[in-house]
Amino acid sequence: MNAVKKLRLPHYLLIAAGLLVLLSLVRVVDGANDVTSSGTVEAMLRLAVPIFLAGLGGLWAERAGVINIGLEGMMILGTWTGAWAGYQWGPWIGVLAGIAGGALGGLLHAVATVSFGVDHIVSGVAINILGLGLTQFLAGLVFNVGHAKELGGGPRQSPPVDPITKISLPVLSGGGGTPDWLGSLEKHHWFLVSDLAGVLRGLTHQMSLLTLVALLLVPVSYFVLWRTPFGLRVRSCGEDPYAAESLGVRVYRMKYAAVLISGGLAGLAGAFLVTVAAPIYQDGQTAGRGFIGLAAMIFGNWRPGGLAAGSLLFGYTDAMNVRDGGQAVHALLLFVAVLLVAVAAWQAWRRSFLAAGLAAVAAVGLLVWFLDSDVVPGELVSFSPHLTTLLVLALASQRLRMPAADGLRYRRGEAR
Amino acid sequence: MPDAAVRLTGITKRFPGVVANRDVDLTIERGEVHALCGENGAGKSTLMKILYGMQRPDEGTVEIDGEQVVLRSPADAIARGIGMVHQHFKLADNLTVLENVILGAEPRRFGRIDFAAARAAIRDMSARYGLRVDPDSLVQPLGVGDRQRVEILKVLYRGAKVLILDEPTAVLVPQEVDELFANLRELRAEGLTVLFISHKLDEVLSVADAISVIRRGTTVATRLDPAEVTARRLAELMVGSELPTPELRESTVTDEVQLDVAGLTVRTPEGRAVVDDVSLRIRRGEIVGLAGVEGNGQGELIEALMGIRPAASGTIRYGGVDVTHWPTRRRREAGIAYIPEDRHRHGLVLEAPLWENRMLGHQTERPNARGPWIDRRGARRDTARIAAEYDVRTPGIDVPAGALSGGNQQKLIVGREMSGAPKLLVAAHPTRGIDVGAQAAIWDALRAARAAGLAVLLVSADLEELIGMSDTLHVILRGRLVAEVDPRSVTPEDLGSAMTGAVS
Ligand SMILES: Nc1ncnc2c1ncn2[C@@H]1O[C@H](COP(=O)(O)OP(=O)(O)OP(=O)(O)O)[C@@H](O)[C@H]1O
Ligand SMILES: [Mg+2]
Repeated sequence: MNAVKKLRLPHYLLIAAGLLVLLSLVRVVDGANDVTSSGTVEAMLRLAVPIFLAGLGGLWAERAGVINIGLEGMMILGTWTGAWAGYQWGPWIGVLAGIAGGALGGLLHAVATVSFGVDHIVSGVAINILGLGLTQFLAGLVFNVGHAKELGGGPRQSPPVDPITKISLPVLSGGGGTPDWLGSLEKHHWFLVSDLAGVLRGLTHQMSLLTLVALLLVPVSYFVLWRTPFGLRVRSCGEDPYAAESLGVRVYRMKYAAVLISGGLAGLAGAFLVTVAAPIYQDGQTAGRGFIGLAAMIFGNWRPGGLAAGSLLFGYTDAMNVRDGGQAVHALLLFVAVLLVAVAAWQAWRRSFLAAGLAAVAAVGLLVWFLDSDVVPGELVSFSPHLTTLLVLALASQRLRMPAADGLRYRRGEAR
Repeated sequence: MPDAAVRLTGITKRFPGVVANRDVDLTIERGEVHALCGENGAGKSTLMKILYGMQRPDEGTVEIDGEQVVLRSPADAIARGIGMVHQHFKLADNLTVLENVILGAEPRRFGRIDFAAARAAIRDMSARYGLRVDPDSLVQPLGVGDRQRVEILKVLYRGAKVLILDEPTAVLVPQEVDELFANLRELRAEGLTVLFISHKLDEVLSVADAISVIRRGTTVATRLDPAEVTARRLAELMVGSELPTPELRESTVTDEVQLDVAGLTVRTPEGRAVVDDVSLRIRRGEIVGLAGVEGNGQGELIEALMGIRPAASGTIRYGGVDVTHWPTRRRREAGIAYIPEDRHRHGLVLEAPLWENRMLGHQTERPNARGPWIDRRGARRDTARIAAEYDVRTPGIDVPAGALSGGNQQKLIVGREMSGAPKLLVAAHPTRGIDVGAQAAIWDALRAARAAGLAVLLVSADLEELIGMSDTLHVILRGRLVAEVDPRSVTPEDLGSAMTGAVS
């Protein structure tokens, strides 16, 4: 057993700062300015939010002991209801409708898993199939006729939804016609200074109000789950429902609440797609983000902060993909190589020489690749999110701990 | 006459294949300490679960404070001021002690949990009742003694008026028991009613105001006056047999060293030494007892011997071979048997039938396996043998282990571990929760195996058992072996004070 020390906020800030310095370094070395440009960061945030919201949905359900693999289906329901209400009554009503649509899927999941004891995976898969089929059917029925069709709807898409307002920070990021200081700093491409400016500008420029809401959900979820009686009861149901039951906690009620919230968050993720990312409902729009959300949740060790970090990581690799970042990914090869050297050194210090050796070999391989080429081909860039998922989960999985009673069937009064 | 605190009338409860309670009548007066005794599987826990709303009776009524009530869930019982410490711990491992204690009755401040108030309340209670625990520690690393304290704190924290304690003291040492009951008596003065179950008859006689005995699901004696009954009479009522005493007759100790532990140190993940430079030898035919207040390293020592926990330094030699770095399976295959301290967490798979549980830890050996294949028939036949030999009261070997009463689960574990001619037995609280009749059988089995050359490391909170069954007796305090006492001359009182470090 190795020493497990508790990491606190200052540690995380230090780590983040260190990573930024390293990023800045590889950017300068390789001249790949897109690595930390505000455009990349903006895209990262936009792409990370739906993953994060879906993952947060998973987190709520699993903290209460219900595995929710139906996030994808609930998200699809959210896109449809969100777009349906959104094109008629404005984007914010769409957001509410999206939440309601997802929560409906959550309710179904809760009835199946909590009340009837259906296997969680089976129910989740069924909801994924149902969500997809139902929305396709309804889209044909509703968007492909009359007024909706005139507005641009069709069997596979909805009429456009007004996008949600985007705001920029005044003075620093050019909000409301004021100067754009960070933007001009970024253009100089100075070491570290421009990187910091790029990141900050990306986080404060043209941010959708809904993104802001999503960001707020990190502390809100943490507070509710870890600081309130309700949260403690929800978590106790995920750790040991029979212990909770013996103390008078209404386990069924807690599980229902958590799974409903879970569905609502997945629906919100869907609504985000139709009101911010692409202001329209389209068939196949979610593209597996519900599942990536689950991966981000696991990466984040079932905690909101970790989940947010995981989502940003996936968002970042995704941003590379959509911005055609062959050059930037090339620079990142160096970045990862340096990180792997650090991992190797750390593992060697812990005397786990096999892991150290593997990390060192991988580092050398990446370094050779880096020196031997100028850009990373597009096919590999589009594969990089998946590769990152694999790599990160492989490295992180030793420390992960899921809720103890996650996915187990609970029946009232069966305690021993 | 004031109403009784609790009155159970005509309670009957059936499970598939067994009647756990049959027409039970029981009255508990307000402000008394009422003890409930009975053999394993007599139906004590079931009756208490009915009173706590965890099981619904098939027939009969429950009255609380003179008012007839229907308890649908523990929440109903809690609302009526009933609290229960369960025979098997009901703790969430990955929550902190504090969270486990306050769950369901959280102190609030502006909608959030008032952690400061909760912490203060727990500190205050643990000081007042002598139940030392750290509120901010996770439950996960705690041993059974600490867990028992947390369980007791849980009900005290709720301020229950009727306290049900189902074997609350099974792994507490006498001092802790005394301290606990002294404080409960104080509470009794404030009108608290205590209903407790125990197999330790001395303890029952010394703390109870009234004693009731259950046998095969019905009450055979109610409201006995402890001043007028003896332990012998109680045992007779319970199991119809004499009170057994743990004792070893002639010495069977040989010169062959079976287990040789030298300078063993085990550290917590934080680096604190919980087992500190322990050296210990057990010869064939010898039972070595380890006395100590729970949480002084005996759990960690045992886990290190079994290979569940890595040794930071030191060596473990087994039959002359260095096994310090062997994995658990290899140790078990080499003939080390293990009775874990917490049967639910380590000993059994509660959902699995008895015969599958029979194979656990011996899944590669005869009669459970033949080559790479599981031998179902062999395992089942052997399970039936264990059930008969160790008197495991069960409707069959296909019922899940969770359907057995606590004591019968323990008997199954003991029977399993004594099978297959082990060379070394590492036993933590082997008779925990076992009634006096079955205790005698287990002691007999231990004595027989010892005569045949079994080496035993025995950890127990039952000092009589330790003194009576050990050839050699060590005292462990804060992870170190601080004294070796002669089991033939030491008294439980002396041993008790050595364990707390009062004398050395
Ligand atoms: N959930 C259950 N399903 C089936 N049978 C059960 C269940 N719970 C208890 N029983 C049976 O009811 C009987 C009484 O069990 P109970 O746990 O009340 O005994 P006990 O008096 O507490 O014994 P012990 O001293 O061993 O704890 C036993 O025969 C047991 O096998
Ligand atoms: Mg019992």
